[in-house]
Amino acid sequence: MTTLARHTLDSAVGEIEVHRGGSAGPAPLVYLHSAQGEGPGMALLEQLADTRQVVAPLFPGFGSSEGLQHIDDIEDAAFHVLDVLDRLDLPWCDMVGLSLGGWMAAELAVRWPERVRRMVLVNPVGLYLRDAPITEIFGRAPSELAGELFADHDNPIAQLMRAMDGMEADPSQIPFELVRPILQSQAATAKVGWNPYLHDPKLLSRLGRVTAPTLIVHARKDGIVPRAHAEAYASAIPDAKLVDLDAAAHLAPLERPDEVAKLVLEHLGD
Amino acid sequence: MRFFSFHLMPYPDLPPDYDGPAWITCPNELFDPRLGGDLYNRYIDELVYAEELGFDGVCVNEHHQNAYGIMPSPNLIASILARLTSRVRIAVVGNALPLYDPPTRVAEEFAMIDCISGGRLIAGMVVGGGPEYYSSSLNPAHARERFAEAHDLILKVWTEPGPFEFIGKHYKLRYVNSWPRPIQQPHPEIWIPGVGSLETLEFVAKHRYAYMGIPYFHISAFERMFAMMREACQKEGYDADPLQLGWLVPIFVAETDAEARRRYEEHFWYFVRRLLPGINISPPGYTSVRSAENIMKNAGTFALNLETWDEVVDGQYAIVGSPETVTELLSANIERLGVGNLLGLFQLGTLPAADTKQSLELFATEVMPKLRDSFPGVHSAGAPVPAPAVAPS
Repeated sequence: MTTLARHTLDSAVGEIEVHRGGSAGPAPLVYLHSAQGEGPGMALLEQLADTRQVVAPLFPGFGSSEGLQHIDDIEDAAFHVLDVLDRLDLPWCDMVGLSLGGWMAAELAVRWPERVRRMVLVNPVGLYLRDAPITEIFGRAPSELAGELFADHDNPIAQLMRAMDGMEADPSQIPFELVRPILQSQAATAKVGWNPYLHDPKLLSRLGRVTAPTLIVHARKDGIVPRAHAEAYASAIPDAKLVDLDAAAHLAPLERPDEVAKLVLEHLGD
Repeated sequence: MRFFSFHLMPYPDLPPDYDGPAWITCPNELFDPRLGGDLYNRYIDELVYAEELGFDGVCVNEHHQNAYGIMPSPNLIASILARLTSRVRIAVVGNALPLYDPPTRVAEEFAMIDCISGGRLIAGMVVGGGPEYYSSSLNPAHARERFAEAHDLILKVWTEPGPFEFIGKHYKLRYVNSWPRPIQQPHPEIWIPGVGSLETLEFVAKHRYAYMGIPYFHISAFERMFAMMREACQKEGYDADPLQLGWLVPIFVAETDAEARRRYEEHFWYFVRRLLPGINISPPGYTSVRSAENIMKNAGTFALNLETWDEVVDGQYAIVGSPETVTELLSANIERLGVGNLLGLFQLGTLPAADTKQSLELFATEVMPKLRDSFPGVHSAGAPVPAPAVAPS
């Protein structure tokens, strides 16, 4: 396990938070987080950092990253990620993205395929399939979402989400310092994913432009994104394969860091 | 002091076994169109009657896809009122600007109502409640920006000669040239309703508009809200005129206190327990983080948390009683809040027509004259409105 260090980076939209560390490997590995804003202290990244240079930027609105006022939609998000890669001096890299981060990685890879050597998308959103809707995440009680995000009932974050329900009766009792980051990250997710709901209608027809060999990971207990989305990604990206992960839900990398690390490293050819 | 009769136009017939929200997903097969027709006509009559009783104005507002208020287009009702009344001011509180694309539609319809009514419109503008962003799928994270831009556009439509081009971030219009134009010049009086969001208060203060405090909170929440409004005006370098402040509150008057409670309480609880659930959903990005903190402070006192009638009385969520009691409570609160507009919700929840009518009559004959004497501000029906918000350029 290799600890990542917190850095800041001046991006075109403002100062953002970047967690990085690890050993030089065959290619730098960039991790794009989900709407959960995971990254700092994340076991998966610390494992990957044993053999890789890992870089995990936090999107505007997450952590202390600024600049959300300059992001209006998923295209702005893709250009922001490109800008971050430029400023990190990464002409190319391997990319791992979870959910929202998987969508951003795909949007980057269809526009600038040369910037992505190999790619892993875990439970990515980003597509609309008429018969397989993505579950509503906005306006839902945290206790309900907990069961869709985590297969393990006892996961500490899932437990915290269940505990939040009791506090809703009197929100004035919740310390605002706890609420502030949640409100900010939800606003950031809404900016890119409110409407069209967590998808880009043009993405599917562009996925043929991706040149990176791509692994799509679908967690069997995912309560947010149906398996059909993983299948659609896997069949539209020219060099892609799909693997299923047991005993994990939407936030699989938080629940099964060892297994996800193994899948990632195998796919990246380490 | 100005007195307004405000109508939400609630749906009073949700089946007893329905326990879901009244908003967004409340199944519309529960709406009986024949009953709906009767309700619209009855509610319009109740508003028209307010003119006969000597009120200064009537108020309608906009909500979509819900049983709380079946008035997705307040402009339709306002235009009927414009034709059926001749004296009262007609306040549309308001149009949810971000929901109109292009928002020149608001400038046009408000100008029509102002023309038809002979210059009696009060133009309310609102960001729109949280549920509207689910009901319309409009991005709540863009709500404030769209509101500000739509507002600028509408004011420009009313105050600058057309045609002109308007190229904003959200609206790009090459030929803006509204026919008709409003009678009131430079533009109708503008009201902005709110629940205490700082951005809204600062916006109202900056433009010298009037701020209407949205009800269903403990009276202390209103006190804070209006204090913040006065402070915001002071930061702009002036003292708030009481006519820039409005307090919206449910009112019911009967012969005695006991009689008033006996006839009113069940209808109030229908409103709180059947029609409010779902109203307080706050979509992501809808309020800034600094405003969210302020709104959360008041959230604990939101009427949805009420359980007993004592709590209703203590927090003054509704002013209910004999003419003497209602006069006394309203006087004290008008003084305490420093407001120049009283917006009474006389019909609420399932309150039947006969009770609504009687309460309105008692209020108009026994309460309103005393309050007019106690608060003799120069403004009453037909008096000039406060200084125009935006000078014509």
